[in-house]
Amino acid sequence: MQAMFSAWVQYLPQLLRGVGVTLELTGLSLVVAVVFGFILALSRLSHIRGLNLLATWYVEIIRAIPVLILLFTAYYSLGQLGIVLSAMQAAVVTLGGFYATQYGEIFRGAILSIDRGQTEAAAALGLPSVAIMRRVILPQAFFAILPPATNQLSNLIKDTSLVFTISLADLMYQTYSALSLNFLPMDMLLLAGIIYFIFYLVIAKLLGRWELNVQQSRS
Amino acid sequence: MHIPILTIPRLYAGVIAQGAVKDLALTVVSTIVSFILGTLGAAGRLYGPWLVKTVIYWYVEIIRGLPAILQLFIIYFGFTQWGIDFSPLTAALIWLVAYGTGYGVEIFRSGIMEVPHGQSEAAAALGLSRRTTMLRIILPQAYAAMLPPLTSFVVLQLKNTTLLYLVGYADIMYQARLGTDATEQPGILYLMAALAYLIMSLAIGRLGYRLERRTAAYR
Amino acid sequence: MSSKVVVSAKHVTKRFGSQVVFEDVTLDVHKKEVVAIIGPSGAGKSTFIRCVNRLHPFDEGTLEVLGHTLTGGGHSPSREILQDIRTRVGMVFQTFNLFPHLSVLNNIILAPMEVKKIHRQQAARQAMELLALVGLEHKAEMFPRRLSGGEQQRVAICRALAMDPEIMLFDEPTSMLDPELVGEVLAAIRRLAQQGMTMLLVTHEMQFAKEVADTVIIMADHGIVEKGPAAKVLDAPATERARVFLRRILKPTEVAAEAAAPARGRF
Repeated sequence: MQAMFSAWVQYLPQLLRGVGVTLELTGLSLVVAVVFGFILALSRLSHIRGLNLLATWYVEIIRAIPVLILLFTAYYSLGQLGIVLSAMQAAVVTLGGFYATQYGEIFRGAILSIDRGQTEAAAALGLPSVAIMRRVILPQAFFAILPPATNQLSNLIKDTSLVFTISLADLMYQTYSALSLNFLPMDMLLLAGIIYFIFYLVIAKLLGRWELNVQQSRS
Repeated sequence: MHIPILTIPRLYAGVIAQGAVKDLALTVVSTIVSFILGTLGAAGRLYGPWLVKTVIYWYVEIIRGLPAILQLFIIYFGFTQWGIDFSPLTAALIWLVAYGTGYGVEIFRSGIMEVPHGQSEAAAALGLSRRTTMLRIILPQAYAAMLPPLTSFVVLQLKNTTLLYLVGYADIMYQARLGTDATEQPGILYLMAALAYLIMSLAIGRLGYRLERRTAAYR
Repeated sequence: MSSKVVVSAKHVTKRFGSQVVFEDVTLDVHKKEVVAIIGPSGAGKSTFIRCVNRLHPFDEGTLEVLGHTLTGGGHSPSREILQDIRTRVGMVFQTFNLFPHLSVLNNIILAPMEVKKIHRQQAARQAMELLALVGLEHKAEMFPRRLSGGEQQRVAICRALAMDPEIMLFDEPTSMLDPELVGEVLAAIRRLAQQGMTMLLVTHEMQFAKEVADTVIIMADHGIVEKGPAAKVLDAPATERARVFLRRILKPTEVAAEAAAPARGRF
């Protein structure tokens, strides 16, 4: 036990350097995922057949392929086609592109869950469709979106660990390089596990509780 | 060494198909075992004594809170520090079952909770025993509610097998990586790997959808 | 009654897929006229008034609304025309459809601010006047779900009136209300009728229809079966179909007893 703690103290700074990369990657990917996800949701809800079909196919295919293969495709295969991405760029494209399908489906479901009468009433008042979406549908959908969106955010953080396979120096990468030098795999992995678990608890529990409070205070 | 791109599918289709069979087998076996453990876990989480509830609660949280790679590495690398050395196949199976059980408990628990309370009241009023109520009234209805998350869970479990190449298990990804090293043609090889997973994921989704349709009668 | 026609339907037909909702509906509504549409459920009454403000497209015929001509088939009116119709035609729904995330006041001022670009203070002042007319000015800051059904529907009427519409559509405004709350909503509609608002009113309240409507239309079997002055249609309907319907509505027990008896063909 004593030995484990001293190993933790010694290697914590190295792992924390990885945390910075993990958080940066999470933030960038989240922005891409939310923006692109919203576009996907609107496309799937639109009556323009080509757009609708394109978005549907994108979601169905991307969700069926493991993230790791998408990551290798972005990092290695695109290079073959002359599109050379840095490890960070490949990671953001992959995680953003994959989680856009998750966020897109959350947005779409929330928008569809709003009663048709709401759209009818707003349309009957002469509100144009952009205003109906912005002032009537989205504010109501927002609280249906929050819980699953938080859930996907914690999945996103966990999936950032995949980027160590393309040598992006995130928390997992730092952990792996530490354990291959000091041969203390369990100590290093447990320390990383504690850090990841803290992220999970903060996002899933604290954010979840805050959402619940907000929701209750409004009804 | 340069190998013409069009010969690669012929060269590698066989080994990738073998890898696919191995991945699928692992998915099926681990899914069955984790469903059984998951049902027991859900029962313990819902009806067990305080200690059992707490232990299962935190088990589920840890499985859901830690990145998949980290869990796999703890089993494969971590335990070597304590003198326990698993083969790649054993480590893979332990991890898939441990992971699957964690998610299984959650799926079964919410499925059971989704059955309205009136159902168990009605069963009790008819004089049915707790056991009969569970087996004949609650579980069949819970099963119907659980099908969609169970289907996505099996797909997730299948996609998780991509990580097993990292511990040296000879699956699809392992073959694709080997092939990439030998031919320097990542594009076509990862495309083949993606196709293999795409076909298997869509097939599982299709199967789940057909099962859902069969239970639709009483939903 | 002025003779100016503000809504004119000519041979309008609406289908959902292969199912006919109503067909060949022809009808003129004049300025300041109150038209009540009654009839059994499923006769297409609600769908018809939704065609007037183009919440639903229709399949055949033409529908002139406030100088715009809507046509059947795949033709959508331009955005400007649609906007103009919906701004000048107000609608009140069976299920109220207040926006649950907005306070009563914000429900009412949303459209004036967004569509007519009226300044917030002015819109709010006008909203408070409307609320005062229905006795709800003290509820302005509340959220809809805190209100009774009758109060919600009165707010919904204010919301529609805030756009200063020339025509009002009512889609069974009282059928979701508890009986003791119906009166307050009918009172608000009655006052509008007295002020000369042009109205198309789908309702099950026969007595009320007789009292406020100039014209009554009975829709049944996918079309208009009877049309005329309220008193005449309701007291002495010309067609057999209308007589059956009215008798069923007014004396349900008698009809039930009749249905139980084997004797038929008394007509």
